[in-house]
Amino acid sequence: MSVAVEAADVVKVFGEIRALDGLSFTVETGEIFGLIGPNGAGKTTALRVVSTLLLPTAGSVNVFGLDVVDRASNVRQIITYLPEEAGAYRNLSGWEYLEFMARFSAKSKDESRGMIKEAAEITGLGERLKDKTKGYSKGMKRRLLVARALMNKPRLSVLDEPTSGLDVLHAYHVRDIIKRYVKEHDVTVLLSSHNMLEVEHLCDRVALLNKGKIVALGNPQELKEKYESANLEEVFAKVVKLA
Amino acid sequence: MLKGFGNFLMKELKELIRDPKILLGMIVVPLIMFPVLGGVMSYSVQSAQERAQRATLLVVNNDEGNWSDFLINFLNVSARISVESNIVLDNDTAMELLAEYNSTQLLEIPMGFGENMIEHVNVNPNVTAAVKFYGVFVGVSIFENMGSPIDRFVYDFNRLLAPDVLKAEKSTIIKGEIISGVDPATLSSILFSQTIALPITIMILLTYSIQIAATSVAMEKEEKTLETLLTLPMDRLSILAGKLSGSIFVAGVGALAYMIGYNYMLGAVTSAIPAEAGIDLAALGLVPSLLGYLLLGISLFVALLSALALAVILSAFAEDVRGAQSLVGFIYPLIFLPSFALMYVDIGTLPFAFKIVLYAIPFSHPTIASRAVIMGDYLTAAFGIVYVSAFTIGVMYAASRFFATEKILTAKLKFKGLRRRRKTPVEEF
Repeated sequence: MSVAVEAADVVKVFGEIRALDGLSFTVETGEIFGLIGPNGAGKTTALRVVSTLLLPTAGSVNVFGLDVVDRASNVRQIITYLPEEAGAYRNLSGWEYLEFMARFSAKSKDESRGMIKEAAEITGLGERLKDKTKGYSKGMKRRLLVARALMNKPRLSVLDEPTSGLDVLHAYHVRDIIKRYVKEHDVTVLLSSHNMLEVEHLCDRVALLNKGKIVALGNPQELKEKYESANLEEVFAKVVKLA
Repeated sequence: MLKGFGNFLMKELKELIRDPKILLGMIVVPLIMFPVLGGVMSYSVQSAQERAQRATLLVVNNDEGNWSDFLINFLNVSARISVESNIVLDNDTAMELLAEYNSTQLLEIPMGFGENMIEHVNVNPNVTAAVKFYGVFVGVSIFENMGSPIDRFVYDFNRLLAPDVLKAEKSTIIKGEIISGVDPATLSSILFSQTIALPITIMILLTYSIQIAATSVAMEKEEKTLETLLTLPMDRLSILAGKLSGSIFVAGVGALAYMIGYNYMLGAVTSAIPAEAGIDLAALGLVPSLLGYLLLGISLFVALLSALALAVILSAFAEDVRGAQSLVGFIYPLIFLPSFALMYVDIGTLPFAFKIVLYAIPFSHPTIASRAVIMGDYLTAAFGIVYVSAFTIGVMYAASRFFATEKILTAKLKFKGLRRRRKTPVEEF
C-alpha cells in the first residue's frame, strides 16, 4: 500500500495558541482514517493544513508525495475538502451548485453530467435539487455537500465532521456511501469527528488527538483491546488520563 | 409598556456601542468629517468675499466725456478699478488687458455714452445710456457668484440719477471668446444647478457599488462557502479576479447608465433654459464634447473600480456581511467629503493642504473631471484617470497578495488597543 498522506512533526501556531504541536501520522491509500478528539483538539486545523487552506508553522505534509505548501495547486487537483460548517450558494439550485462544482474537475460535458447524476443519487434529494439551496434544511444541505465532495472520485477526500447536522438515518446513509466509495472507486478518506462511536464503525484506523498531539493511533479494535475498553470513548478517557 | 422591551433595548445598546467598527464608522467619522467640511466651506466663503473685495474692475473708457468721468468716479467710491482709454475691444485685446490687470471683469464705456446720458437727462427719458460688461467664466462655484458687482453698480447709479438711465449689456468671456448677450451670473447659476447633480449621483453610485462588492465577498464567509472555494482546483487569483470582474461588470453598467442619465439631464437643463436668457450651452461649448464624455466616463469607471477593489480587500477582513458593511463604512467619508466639498467650492480656491488631500482621494476625480471637461481642460481629467488607475492597481496588487495566502481565511481586523485598555485592572477601579 502506498502512502496517501504523510504528516511529519506538524506545528501550527495562531498567535499564542499552539493548535498543532508536533503532529505526525500517515494515511494509507484506500483507507478511511479518522482524526478524533474533543473540541479544540486540533482536528479541523490538521485537516485544513492537509487541504492547503492553512500553512504549517513547522513540519511538513505530503499528499500522494506532493508537498501541501510547495505544490498546493497540484494537491488541490486531487483532493476534495468538506468543511464542518460548509454552505452552498443560496441563490443557486442544488443542481446548479453541483454543475458549478463539477466543472472544476470534469474534462468533458459527459464526465460532468456523469458526476452530477451520481451526486444526485448520493443526495437522495430528487426533485428538490431543482430548488434554491436557501430553502434546504441543514440535513439536505449537508447531503448535497457530501455528494459534492465525493462525486468526482478524488484520490483523497478530506471530510470534517461529514455527518454533522444529519439525523440518524441520513448519517447512516452518508457513512454507507463513504464506505462504498472507498471500496469501489479507490478513494482515500481522511475525516474528523468528535463522535467516537461513529468513527469506530467507519474508520480503518484512527488517531486520537488531544491538545494538538496524537495520544493514540491504531485500528479501533486494537485500541479497544490495548486499553481494555468497550469503545473508543473509553479509550480516549484512559489515554488522556495516562498522558 | 411592552414586556421585556427595556431589557432587550439595553442588550441591543450594549452590543452596538461595544462594537468599535460601528462606533468609529457611525459616530467618530461623521463627527470629524462634517466639522472639516464646515471649515472648508467657511474658508471658501471668506476667501470668495476677500477676492470679491480685492477684485479689480477694469474700466475701458472709450467715451472720455464728463459723464464717463462721472461714472468712473462713482465706481471708484465702492470698487477697486483700473482705467484704460480708447481701446477697441475684441477677443484678443480683452483677454490681454484682463491678464495684464489680473482681473476677470471688464466694463467698457462705449463711445456715445455721454451723449445718451445728456439726451436722457435733458430731452428724452426713454433713451438709456449703455455700458458693456464682460465677465470671464472661470468655472462654477456657489460662492464665486457673490462677487459680481455690476448689477449693484447699475442699481445704485440709477437710484442716484434717474430710474433706468444706465443699462449694462452683459457678455461672458468663455475660453477666450466674447459671447455677447450672455449674463455670466445667469450662466453660472444654470451650470451650478447641473454640476451639483453629478457629485450626488457619484455618491449614490459609489456607495451602492461598494455595498454590492463587500456583500459579495462577505457572503462567501458568512455562508461558509469560502473554505470550499479555496480548496478547489482553481487559481486563488481567479477568485479575486472573478469577484472584481463581477463588480466591474456592475460598475461598467452603472457608469454607462449614469453617463446616459447625465447626458439626458444636461439636455433637460438646456431645454429648460428660457429662450430670453439667450443661453445655448452646447453652442457656448459648455457641454462636454465626445472626448469630454469619454474622459468623464473613464474617470467614473476607474473611480468605481478603485472603490470596489478597496471594498473587496476590506470586506475580506470581515467575518460576515454585517462586519463587512461596517468596515466599508470607513470608505464613505472618502466619498462624501470630496463630493460635498466640490459641490460648493472650486478646488482651485481651496488652501493648498486641502487641495492635496482632495486630489489624493481617488473619489474626488470624477467630480473634478466633470468640471474640467466642461472647460475643455482634458489634461486635468486625464491626470485624474492616470492617478486613480495607479491607485487601483496598487490596491488590486495588495488584494491579490492577500488572496494568495491563508490570511484570506484567518485575517480579522482587531481593535486590540481598545480591548486591552478595557481590561487594564487599574482603569477598572
